[in-house]
Amino acid sequence: MRIEVVENVLKANDAVAAANRRLLERYGLLAVNLMSSPGSGKTALLERTIPMLGPAEPCSVMVGDLQTTRDAERVGPYTVQATQINTGTGCHLSAAQVAEALARMELDRLAYLFIENVGNMVCPAEFDLGEHVRAVLLSVPEGDDKVAKYPTLFQKADVILLTKVDLLGVLDFSIDRVREDLARVNTRAPLLRVASRTGEGLGDWLDWLRRTRAARVAGGS
Amino acid sequence: MHEMAIAWQIVEQSLRIAAEHGAGRILEVRIEVGAMRSVVPEALEMAFTVCSEGTAAEGARLHVTTVTPRARCNPCGREFEPQYGFFACPGCGQADVEILAGQEILLKGLECRSPQEAVDP
Repeated sequence: MRIEVVENVLKANDAVAAANRRLLERYGLLAVNLMSSPGSGKTALLERTIPMLGPAEPCSVMVGDLQTTRDAERVGPYTVQATQINTGTGCHLSAAQVAEALARMELDRLAYLFIENVGNMVCPAEFDLGEHVRAVLLSVPEGDDKVAKYPTLFQKADVILLTKVDLLGVLDFSIDRVREDLARVNTRAPLLRVASRTGEGLGDWLDWLRRTRAARVAGGS
Repeated sequence: MHEMAIAWQIVEQSLRIAAEHGAGRILEVRIEVGAMRSVVPEALEMAFTVCSEGTAAEGARLHVTTVTPRARCNPCGREFEPQYGFFACPGCGQADVEILAGQEILLKGLECRSPQEAVDP
């Protein structure tokens, strides 16, 4: 017998993501999904960003990794709460894992919730978590060809951070090449140059966060 | 290997749909996958084989059809077919799009044994 249907296969994930988004909408916070390859500096960026935002803009962090609680321990001292999600062999965070972590968080105190995804430039782009915005990092040591190689991730970005720019003079890396590739993939997301080690460009990143949060809270959506 | 997570969902939803229709063993599962999804059909088929083991979908064929992508330019409203890694609008040149098609993963249908043929308890 033949059965005809039209059913979204990711509807379980998408339904939980939508529920996460509805929950987050109730608070005046901005939820940022950070995605990049491993070692591009997601945790280092948060270690600098959260103290700079300061006590007036409290942050919590959810970190996805296959193993260890190291990243949560690193950002822990700066946050209201830091939750480590170990995915075991999973290559991405799912909306259900985020929902479980959200249930244990004090959301009413927060200005920002950073969701540090599993380091991977392919799979995390496929799973909506219910975040408000997606920040994609690309570090100078990874090479200037990554936008062209992983267009799906960059196409979905609301902001793109070129990290470790303090190494620009040391490594052969062409920002023009990144810009050329982004002209074909994503002209909506601003490209910000940052170096967590030296603090370069972090002001622009903070401005972007504050502007985006203000627009979201004012827009009531 | 996010194909594994997708395959689990396909198996779970197929079993539920077959049960709702009182069907027997599942012989074929038809799905549509957007060309922009980072899904490798061979990897998905392999994952489906693993995930369906020991269920009423064991041994079923997974039939994957690819969906052509479609995008709408946010600045100028033009609709076009983006190529992989190329989202710039042929009209205004901006790469700021809303994806209309090409990201979906849809379960479209099942081929099952009819209830009277059902042998599974």
